[in-house]
Amino acid sequence: MENSILRRRRHELIIGGIVLAGLALLPVPIKDVYTQNLIIITVLFAGLAQAWNILGGYCGQISLGHALYFGIGSYVSTLLYLRLGIPPTLGLFAAGIVSGLVALLIGWPCFRLSGHYYAIATVVVGEIGYLLFLNWDFVGGATGVFIPFHGESWAQLQFKTAKLPYHFVVLGFAAATWLAAFWLEGSRWGFAWRAVKDDVVAARSLGVNIFASKMAAAALSGGFTGIGGALYAQYVGYIDPDSVLAGHFSILIALPAVLGGVGNLWGPLIGAAVLIPASELSRSYLGGSGRGVDLMLYGGLIVLVALARPQGLVSLFSWQRKQNAPAA
Amino acid sequence: MSAADLLQVAAGGLLMGLVYALVAAGLSLIFGLMDVVNFAHGELMMLAMYAVFALWQVSGTDPLLLLPVVAVLLFGTGIAIYQGLIARALSVQFNRGMVQIFVTFGLAIFIRGACQFVWGGDFKSVTGHWLAGRTLELGGVFLPLPQMAASAVCLVAFAGLLAIGRTEFGRALEATREDRDAVALIGIDRNRIFALGWGLGAAAVGVAGVMLAGFYYVGPNVGASFAVIAYVTVALGGFGSMLGALVAGILIGEVEAFTAALWEPSLKQVGVFAVYLAVLMFRPRGLFGRL
Amino acid sequence: MNRRALLLSAGAAALTSRAAYAADDVVIGVVYPLTGNGAAVGLDAKAAYEVAADIINGTHAPIPMLMGAGGGLPKLGGAKIKLVFADSQNDPQKARAEAERLITQDKAVAIVGSYTSATGATISQVTERYEVPYLAADNSSPSLHTRGLKWFFRTSPHDEMFTQGMFDFFAGIGAKTGRKVQTIALFYEDSIFGTDSSNVQRKLAEAAGIKVVADIRYRAASPSLSTEAQKLKSANADVILPSSYTSDAILILKAMAEIGYKPKAIMAQAAGFQESAFMQGAGALAEGAMSRSSFALDATKSRPAIAPVNALYKAHNNKDMNDNTSRELTALLTLADAINRAGSAKPDAIRLALMATDVPGDQTIMPWKGIKFDATGQNTLGTPVMQQISGGVYKTVWPFDLAVMEPVWTVGQ
Repeated sequence: MENSILRRRRHELIIGGIVLAGLALLPVPIKDVYTQNLIIITVLFAGLAQAWNILGGYCGQISLGHALYFGIGSYVSTLLYLRLGIPPTLGLFAAGIVSGLVALLIGWPCFRLSGHYYAIATVVVGEIGYLLFLNWDFVGGATGVFIPFHGESWAQLQFKTAKLPYHFVVLGFAAATWLAAFWLEGSRWGFAWRAVKDDVVAARSLGVNIFASKMAAAALSGGFTGIGGALYAQYVGYIDPDSVLAGHFSILIALPAVLGGVGNLWGPLIGAAVLIPASELSRSYLGGSGRGVDLMLYGGLIVLVALARPQGLVSLFSWQRKQNAPAA
Repeated sequence: MSAADLLQVAAGGLLMGLVYALVAAGLSLIFGLMDVVNFAHGELMMLAMYAVFALWQVSGTDPLLLLPVVAVLLFGTGIAIYQGLIARALSVQFNRGMVQIFVTFGLAIFIRGACQFVWGGDFKSVTGHWLAGRTLELGGVFLPLPQMAASAVCLVAFAGLLAIGRTEFGRALEATREDRDAVALIGIDRNRIFALGWGLGAAAVGVAGVMLAGFYYVGPNVGASFAVIAYVTVALGGFGSMLGALVAGILIGEVEAFTAALWEPSLKQVGVFAVYLAVLMFRPRGLFGRL
Repeated sequence: MNRRALLLSAGAAALTSRAAYAADDVVIGVVYPLTGNGAAVGLDAKAAYEVAADIINGTHAPIPMLMGAGGGLPKLGGAKIKLVFADSQNDPQKARAEAERLITQDKAVAIVGSYTSATGATISQVTERYEVPYLAADNSSPSLHTRGLKWFFRTSPHDEMFTQGMFDFFAGIGAKTGRKVQTIALFYEDSIFGTDSSNVQRKLAEAAGIKVVADIRYRAASPSLSTEAQKLKSANADVILPSSYTSDAILILKAMAEIGYKPKAIMAQAAGFQESAFMQGAGALAEGAMSRSSFALDATKSRPAIAPVNALYKAHNNKDMNDNTSRELTALLTLADAINRAGSAKPDAIRLALMATDVPGDQTIMPWKGIKFDATGQNTLGTPVMQQISGGVYKTVWPFDLAVMEPVWTVGQ
């Protein structure tokens, strides 16, 4: 029993290494700037969805307010850079810490709520954050914040036209979230969360401190999401509440994990690899009509995948299905 | 602001609050019955508004007279959504909570796209309403008749929903809510009850859409403006509680109006959300939710 | 040919199709929201650019304006303008990616765009890095041209110029009728557009000695604006200055009427007040409302090109030209003229030609004094007009020499 778990984990680590190497080598055959941009956004969302997965998947707390952590992260690193001159390479850690703390602050009252009450409370907290930033002149209000270009610099994560540096930066981010999820899966916390998700009463009787474990999940999840936000801000060069804090962004963060497979190491990656290119391509080829065909396809795809593959797209891979089977 | 102004603000808040309550009633009904939050609820309301617009444009009939037609249409839509999607979503073994959230969420995007496909992206207005533009002045307080009619219909609809609770069907609903599996033993077809519940829930929000079309514009994003308020109303009142939805709707209408009047109009929803979070600290399942 | 050879040749054709424009075509990238919110405006813009390209490239009776002769760019041997459209979905990140794609894949030598100021902000950063001109046709935020960008040009007036026009009108009508504007109420949505607009209005009101008696920032697309209407009623200013998109514009007029309030005068920062859906939705309530505009459809006397251009546009899109589409069309004509004068499709030559642009107003369809860029890339001659709704259509009432009717001025009566 013990050995088979260890063997499986070693197995996953090896596959993870292979996937990482494959992604790192993608720019070798792909020189086209637009496709490179698509890959960067896809990998960024894979990382964000993995961060969401820590709270939503492993811990089973369906958060629909992650845009708040993303937005706060993007504002923290950007404002530290513009107001205090702190380079974003340091600022992104500050972004992670602040977002993680905010997640704790929000988790403290919200984890008293269960099920749909929790989900709706996260929507509401996210909306409050959005509205406050929109009306807060100190952070640029509705006008948003421009990040001026001061020449190529790794410390400031600014590159004139090159995509490669960002490719590796977001890959590093996604790999970090994956490793965090991997480590958590095997840790005491990971077991506690699975217990919380499956049966709160049983978990309590096993001596798991449910509240503390949820708080830990929220802090990690929010913190990583904030780092993703900082990277996004530096990549795009402009942030405003509508593009980093609006409610639909929370869904965009959760969706790859849910459709790829929640509580699964590979789900967010697979979900992002399917969803992000699908939405980009449907926009490029159908969006020009302006008649909502792309929305119908996108919505229809979500419904279909959710109904046909409730375990997520990851279940299409047979070796995964075999592993899941005994647990069911 | 003078006392008369504040009275006017209170009246406006009450009229809007009753609309919020009616929008939320259907959502609450469905949740109470089968533990499903319909994230396409706002879009169902929008569908009703577009239906009114299209029928009014084609037939020239007064929008108020179209109320029963649209209610029946939405009833059918609700049943179709249940049979086509929700019954399937409830039957999955794994991940049921998330599947139902994202199925209804995908449906919402789909409906938005479909409406844009049929009616384009422009805003539409229903203007032929016989109450349109009329207003009643009572001691310095202005009461616009379209909103008054919406409030009256809202109260009637709530009375209707409560009356249904006293019928045979209502008792079957109640029993199904209490214990999904046991009702099968006493010969109640759970699937049929759920389908009727969806039909009723959709018809209720359809009625709200018809009344709203009398004084609000129609557009592909109109569902989104009301959806968040509807979820907050239901959670504040307590999922599944009709009385809760009514009280919470009025409370939210008033808090919104007074936040705008006494503080910042752009932060009026922050006021609503703050009250909601404060209440949830003391009553995690809402004002009238069963603990 | 066997199947494999067929597939190979099809693949090769697909690969080369991107570069299949005739060698002398000049590619210009156009970024707009073609889906999602803003799609209605973006699709009208697309039609306007298509008409502009037809005017430049096609053979037709000469139109008395810049690039109105047709037949392509004479100094480039009759080269044609080729437009490539991209959908931004009103998302700054996507606008940025699309601009980059147009420059690197489609080899666009210049970009025009983009409706909202947030997308204009990211597109102009991309064009700066790739050293390609960006011509802002309709972004009106003053924050765009103050960032020291080398490759940014804007034919359109920005909000400060528009608002200056409003206050000049107030002064003019006050002197003319003796009934001056003493108080105004600001009513603006909580967006980049509303914020910029209201900031300028507040500043100019102070300079003009006009008192701001209500300063209302409201939540865009709210379910109800009845309390906001009540605040406007309590303040009862001489003029209400709304900065709102279509849906809120309809809603606030209805909300004011519902509480029995008929404002003395309304002067809108265009946007929703210039849309046909607003005219239909607000109906009689809109009668007498005023709005600034950068376009005057009725200025046909001083701008002879308006009638033929509007006829072409109407045949293409079944609508009259408006505030937005006229600015978009003019932007492309200005750009084509610069490319022609540069005699080259090289971005740096186009940039130099744009800097040297000096077009008199009567060579455009706009009521502007002309087109001439200052060091920041802003057109300094884009003077706005004021219009008033009369009988369900906008009529130009200011500047007085362009006016087609006397304004109905109820302030101070």
